Amino acid sequence: MPEVILKNLPFMLQGLATSLQISAMVALGGTLLGLIVAVILYSRVPVLSVVSRVYIEFIRGTPLLVVLFIAFFGLPALFGYQTTAYKATVVAFILFIGAYLAEDIRSGLMTVKPTLTQAALATGLTQGQALRFVVVPLAVRRIIPTLFNQYVRLFKFTSVASVIGVAEFTGNAMLVNAREFQPVTILAFVALTYLVICLILSGIGRWLYARLAVS
Amino acid sequence: MAASLKVNAMDKPTIVIDDVSKAYGATQVLRHCSTRIAKGEVVVVCGPSGSGKSTLIKCINGLEPFQSGSITVEGVEVGSPRTNLPKLRMRIGMVFQHFELYPHMTALENIMLAQVRALKRSRAEAEARARSLLKRVGLEAKANAKPANLSGGQQQRVAIARALALDPQVMLFDEPTSALDPEMISEVLDVMIELAGEGMTMAVVTHEMGFARRVADRVIFMDQGCIVEDAAKEQFFAAPASERAREFLSKILAH
Repeated sequence: MPEVILKNLPFMLQGLATSLQISAMVALGGTLLGLIVAVILYSRVPVLSVVSRVYIEFIRGTPLLVVLFIAFFGLPALFGYQTTAYKATVVAFILFIGAYLAEDIRSGLMTVKPTLTQAALATGLTQGQALRFVVVPLAVRRIIPTLFNQYVRLFKFTSVASVIGVAEFTGNAMLVNAREFQPVTILAFVALTYLVICLILSGIGRWLYARLAVS
Repeated sequence: MAASLKVNAMDKPTIVIDDVSKAYGATQVLRHCSTRIAKGEVVVVCGPSGSGKSTLIKCINGLEPFQSGSITVEGVEVGSPRTNLPKLRMRIGMVFQHFELYPHMTALENIMLAQVRALKRSRAEAEARARSLLKRVGLEAKANAKPANLSGGQQQRVAIARALALDPQVMLFDEPTSALDPEMISEVLDVMIELAGEGMTMAVVTHEMGFARRVADRVIFMDQGCIVEDAAKEQFFAAPASERAREFLSKILAH
C-alpha cells in the first residue's frame, strides 16, 4: 500500500467507521419507516395514506443534499432546537431512503395474492396478524435484492454528509489530500474501498435471497 | 333414521342464508339466495363457472361482503358490523381451490400459525395438534417440508389439516380438487369423505359428482347468481327439476 495511505490510515478508517455506523442506523431506521409507510399505503389507511403519499412525492422530488440541508439548517431553525451534523445526517438519510424503501416494500406487498390473505383471515387471524405473519414476511423475502440495492445506495450517500462537516470516510480522505496533495492515490483508495464494501453488501443480499426466497 | 334426525336439526340450522344478494358494480353475482344447512349435513354446491357458487361460500365466513339479505352461522350474524369476524371464522374452516398455504412456512408451521396466534394455544399444544392432523391426512413425514416441495394433493391435505386445527364446527370447501392433477384428486376426496363420515357439517363447491353421490345429503345447483335447485341428493340426480340443471348434469356426467 502506498505510504501516503498507510501513514493516514487510522484517520481515514475512523471516517470509514463513521460512514458504516451511519449506514447501519439509516438502513435500520429507513427500513422500519419504509415498512410502516408501505403498510399504510397497502392497507389504504385513511388520512395517513395521503400523508404517506405526500411524503414520498416530496422526497422523490427533492435532491438528497437539499434534504440534508433541511434537516441540518431548516428544521432546527423552524422548530427551535439544536442538532449536530451527525444527527441531522441520520435523520435526513432515514427520511430520504425511507421513501424509496416504502415504494419497494409496497410493490413487494402487492405481489402477495389476495387469496393468501383470505386464507389467513379464514383461519381467524386478524388483518394485522395476516399482515405481520404472512404478507410482510413473504413480501420482504421477495424483495431482498431490491432492499440491498437501496442499502448500497445509502452507503454511498454517506459521502455527501462531509458537506455539513460530518467526519466520514470521503471527508476525512479529502482532508488528508488537502495536506498531502496526492489526489490520484487517495481517490483510488477511496473509490476502491467503497467498491469493495458495496460488493460485500450485494453479496450478502444475494446470499440471503438464495437462502430465504420463496416463489 | 339419519335423514329424519337431520330434518329435526333443521329447527336450529348451523348456517342460515336468507335472501342474500351481491353485486360488483353493475354485475349482479348473487340474486336472492336462500338456503339452510343443518348440523352434520353435507351440501354440495355446483353449477357452471361464474354462477356465483364460490362467492356464496365466501360470504358464509365473511370473506366476501354482500349488500342485502343475511347469513347466520350458529346464530351469529355474519354481515353485522358488530360481529367479531376473526372469532367467528375460527369456528368455520375453509379450504381453497389453490391451497393457499403460506409458502415461507413448513407444513407444520402452516398448521400451527392460527392455533397459536388466533386461538392462543401454547406452541407445544399447537405442535402436538398439528402433528396428529398431519398423521391423519397421511403426511406426518412431511411436517418440515415447505409447500413448494409438496405435490398439489399433499398441499391440499395440509390445507385441510390447517383448517381442522381450529376444531371448526363447519368446513367450507371452494373447489378443493379442481386445481389438482387427476391422480391426486382421490387422495383429497378420501380425506373429505372421512370427514363427512365423522359428522362434520360441510358445504362443498365441487364438480366431483361422484363425491356428491357418495357423501352429499343435498345438492344446490346455481346459475347466474341464483340458487336454481336445492334438493336432496337422490332427487337431484334422479330428476333435476330445472332444464338448466338437467343440461349441466348431462354435460358433466357425459364422460
